[in-house]
Amino acid sequence: MRILAIETAVIEVGVALADETGPLASVTARPGRRQAETLHPAIADLLRIAEIAPSQLDAIAVDIGPGLFTGLRVGVATAKALAGALGLPVVTATSLEVLVAACPSAFGMVVPVVDMRRGEVAWTMPASPEPGFRVGAPGELAAELAALAAEGAGPVLLVGDGALFHRGLLEGATTPAPVFAGPELAAPPVASLAVLAIAAMRNGTCCDPAEVGALYGREADARINWTTREAREAVSQ
Amino acid sequence: MNQRGRILGIETSCDETAAAVVDQGRTVVSSVVSSQVDLHARYGGVVPELAGRAHVELALPVVTDALQGAGLDRRGRSFEDLEGPLGIDAVAATIGPGLIGALLVGVSTAKAFALAWGVPFVGVNHLEGHLYAAMLEAPELELPVVVLLVSGGHTLLVALDAPGSYRVLGATVDDAAGEAFDKVARYLGLGYPGGPEIDRLARSGDSSLIRFPRASTAGALDFSFSGLKTSVVSYVRAHREVANADVAASFQEAVVDVLVAKSLAAADEIGARGACLAGGVAANSSLRQRFGEAFAARGMMSYLPSRAMCTDNAAMIAAAGYFQLERSGPTPLDAGAVPDLQLRSSK
Repeated sequence: MRILAIETAVIEVGVALADETGPLASVTARPGRRQAETLHPAIADLLRIAEIAPSQLDAIAVDIGPGLFTGLRVGVATAKALAGALGLPVVTATSLEVLVAACPSAFGMVVPVVDMRRGEVAWTMPASPEPGFRVGAPGELAAELAALAAEGAGPVLLVGDGALFHRGLLEGATTPAPVFAGPELAAPPVASLAVLAIAAMRNGTCCDPAEVGALYGREADARINWTTREAREAVSQ
Repeated sequence: MNQRGRILGIETSCDETAAAVVDQGRTVVSSVVSSQVDLHARYGGVVPELAGRAHVELALPVVTDALQGAGLDRRGRSFEDLEGPLGIDAVAATIGPGLIGALLVGVSTAKAFALAWGVPFVGVNHLEGHLYAAMLEAPELELPVVVLLVSGGHTLLVALDAPGSYRVLGATVDDAAGEAFDKVARYLGLGYPGGPEIDRLARSGDSSLIRFPRASTAGALDFSFSGLKTSVVSYVRAHREVANADVAASFQEAVVDVLVAKSLAAADEIGARGACLAGGVAANSSLRQRFGEAFAARGMMSYLPSRAMCTDNAAMIAAAGYFQLERSGPTPLDAGAVPDLQLRSSK
């Protein structure tokens, strides 16, 4: 079982190979907006270094977001096409799941926080009864952290670029202050995605590439404006 | 590349997700276009973010359909021999011009297919693709020809000397012809896209009623349409009583007059054997008729591509990819999209 994993959802472009023994090799870069220019040469280089032909892969894994729209499109389109062209299944994980998987398991309460631009972040609360993730202002996240602390929860580890970006605000959310993972975990580590994907494949949790889509975490702009306009028109009538 | 030269082309520069399989730049084996026009119509224009998202959903199914049309499965193998050799020799995609978020989906998809299959990737200029549209439908076409490429974003006169070898003779100095159609349509309160609406309305109007200006430009084969657009707006402001149909017909007449006259001049200049229309505005019925008549009167052939070949499609991208691969080889995998890519004369 050999998996190629693709990470482009946050601020990193990463590709990794893993099998049942764990990660085999990975390449990462922080190329700014040049995700499409960076990803495909990185895949080619990784396969060459690891001396693995594309036909020797068993599945493709991809981070489907939430995160930055352009990176997501590049990564998801590439994963779908690679899997389609090779006749392989795809394993998907969210950026938040990968961040949690990358944290030391000794830390009980991990809250992954991804920056969504425009003053918003996406996060998941530990043991939240609701599936999926929340998107909102960092102040809302701070309030949820305070509520969690009020229930007597222990220390919380915040991980991801969203946590680092809004550190000033989030530090004051609880006493004692939450712990922050370092900048090396700002983006979901692609090797963690690859290892998650190996486990998923063992459980048979994978799908056809045609079914894979990105989780943008926010409606497209035009749609938001349109809805607002309709609401305004309804009010003014 | 082997004798067959079978190219998979992918086009996602704007609001059409398209894929095609073309042999040796000449024979269309399959061509699939999935239009997003309904998705954008309510906004009165293409919404880039919606376009990008739709391309991500549609790219793989559209490519799969195109491969199927060529008797191949998604892995590029013949349905008759699923473990047999790969049935595609290279993968081409539009790298520009277009919407960055839309282009990147096609580029990423194409590079991934090329990488997975171990075949060359070719990044194609969308405008160069349009040059081959007529050739794909008219294999008897004799070069050199003048190509009038008219769309929402471009107005170009190009000499196509040989496949892969062309010279830009003239271009618009301001608005593209299709842009003028869209802006005038919007001003007249017509629907989107504006070109077909003006075309339809003009049929019931008097094209000689208003004499709108035919702009002259410093370069004899260049175009200018922004003055015409302004002139239509001022005329309508001053003459509210004049029917929209007459305004549309007279405006269209002014555009077509200039396009046809400069195409004839370009053909004379290069000693062309014929002339081709290309691009979305090539679907305009008045332009098609007048272009055909004007060249026939000179004893020259004119090639008017079908509506499907005028608008964005991937067959023309696959054809351009084939000729580019022959002349200049593959495009490296670190190529990105170039939203403002220009068409320049080939070397």
